[in-house]
Amino acid sequence: MNGMRIAWRITRLNFRAQLEYRTEFLLMIAIGAIWQVSVIVFATVLLTRFTGMGGWDSSEVLLIPATRMLAHGLFVLVLGRVHGAGRQIQEGRIDIYLTRPMPVHRQLQLAFFPTNAIGDLTVAVGLMVGALSRSRLDWTPGRISYLIAALIGGMLLEAALFTAVACAALRFPAADYWGRWLEELLGTFGSYPLNVLPRAVGGLLTYGLPLAFVAYFPAAVLTGHGHDTGVPYWLAAASPLLGVVAYLGSRLLWRWSLRHYAGVNG
Amino acid sequence: MAVLHAWRAARVTPLGELHAPPRMTAVLIRLIVQVILVASLWHGLYAHTGTTAGLAEGQAVTYAVLAVLASRLRELDQYAGRDTVLQHMHFGTIVYWYLRPLPPQRYHALRALGEQLYGFAWALGGYLVCLAAGVVDAPRSPAVAGVFALSLLLGQWVLYHVMLTLDQLCFWTVRNNAAMLILIFAQNLLSGVYAPLWFFPDWFITLSGFLPFQATLSVPLSIYIGRIPLSDAGGQLAIQAFWGVALTLFTRFLWRRAARRVISQGG
Repeated sequence: MNGMRIAWRITRLNFRAQLEYRTEFLLMIAIGAIWQVSVIVFATVLLTRFTGMGGWDSSEVLLIPATRMLAHGLFVLVLGRVHGAGRQIQEGRIDIYLTRPMPVHRQLQLAFFPTNAIGDLTVAVGLMVGALSRSRLDWTPGRISYLIAALIGGMLLEAALFTAVACAALRFPAADYWGRWLEELLGTFGSYPLNVLPRAVGGLLTYGLPLAFVAYFPAAVLTGHGHDTGVPYWLAAASPLLGVVAYLGSRLLWRWSLRHYAGVNG
Repeated sequence: MAVLHAWRAARVTPLGELHAPPRMTAVLIRLIVQVILVASLWHGLYAHTGTTAGLAEGQAVTYAVLAVLASRLRELDQYAGRDTVLQHMHFGTIVYWYLRPLPPQRYHALRALGEQLYGFAWALGGYLVCLAAGVVDAPRSPAVAGVFALSLLLGQWVLYHVMLTLDQLCFWTVRNNAAMLILIFAQNLLSGVYAPLWFFPDWFITLSGFLPFQATLSVPLSIYIGRIPLSDAGGQLAIQAFWGVALTLFTRFLWRRAARRVISQGG
């Protein structure tokens, strides 16, 4: 309880610190929104030019980027500082965190307030409202609950992937490079039905990099395409659970990696 | 002597990369995977569609793969080298650029030249492999190849000055990460990195025609795939040259103004 109170106070202070540079604060909100709009622009262009993507109609396809973007926005707000942890590792800030009486991971997450999350979430909520209003599905309590679980699962899965990169960065600071690529992959290929890709490539984005579990599989289950994803139905349906398991696993990996962290001077 | 200084400055980034095999391996893996994914996506999208927006399947795939390869020309991990203008401004070390016998604008240009030549080696290697594997189409004629090469060169000239303008922005703003990100996003979107501009609505294509970004990538790649015929290429090359000259003069003006704003240790 005391930890929560401290975390809340630090977050409030971080928010005020971001307000110190008003123009930068507003631009950070803008960048979050613009980045998300780029996904919408690309998706709209593709949906306009290539109708019936992978056997999905456009209102069904729209549910994929809406789910992914909202999960991503929540990730940026709640756990996003782990992305870019390599920068803090390079600057030696982890060494400072190790001397303080607060878990290193929590200090990492409390390093600054993610202003861009405001823009991210604004656009993502807008897209989700648009996707739900165009959807012809019957939004029963069961479907709504599954969608909420999918959003949380997607957030945790993205956090797990970036935590794994941060673990690598503890040993190899240049691993931050992989984080930027991962973000690009999630943004580019996480928003479309992966069955437009060849089976091997779709398999790579399912079992190699579990990108399909963030939004594609949950959207497939919700829209009735769950049996056409190329994986067993139960696996696609268990996507939110996979996010929880992956995140817990990544935290264990983080704990192990931190114990073996040697810092610049060994 | 000047040539020796130039050579030493230009080779900083390539040498740094060559001494970091894990980073080079990462670049190689990323490039291979990205080419496969992008080619697969566009083949998949065209599975039930013929020519759209004036682009056939082969043209669209070639455009998308060449855009991935072209991204290598200016995508080095400068941040790891701690030699971006943003970092120098943040840590107050930009003042050293003004204490060397080499003017900062020349140092910046030489570093960029070395980076672009190094990135070009990657892009060329990737292109030859993709060509041999049949992932991309060959240019339709030697004339197209020649005009494309000239357009690519002009595009890199424009790109350097667009990126330089972003760097120079750091002299006027204390915290400008967001502005930088917005401008980089605009560069990617309006140059056709995310998707060929031909797929966008007419108003978007008209708008991008008034901005320098399309001159960096969209024009050379459109010439290569034949979406801009050789008969129209002259006008497009002239527009690229116009942006190159205009941005060169503008950035030269900004360098002079920036020199008056350099502060160290608080003033």
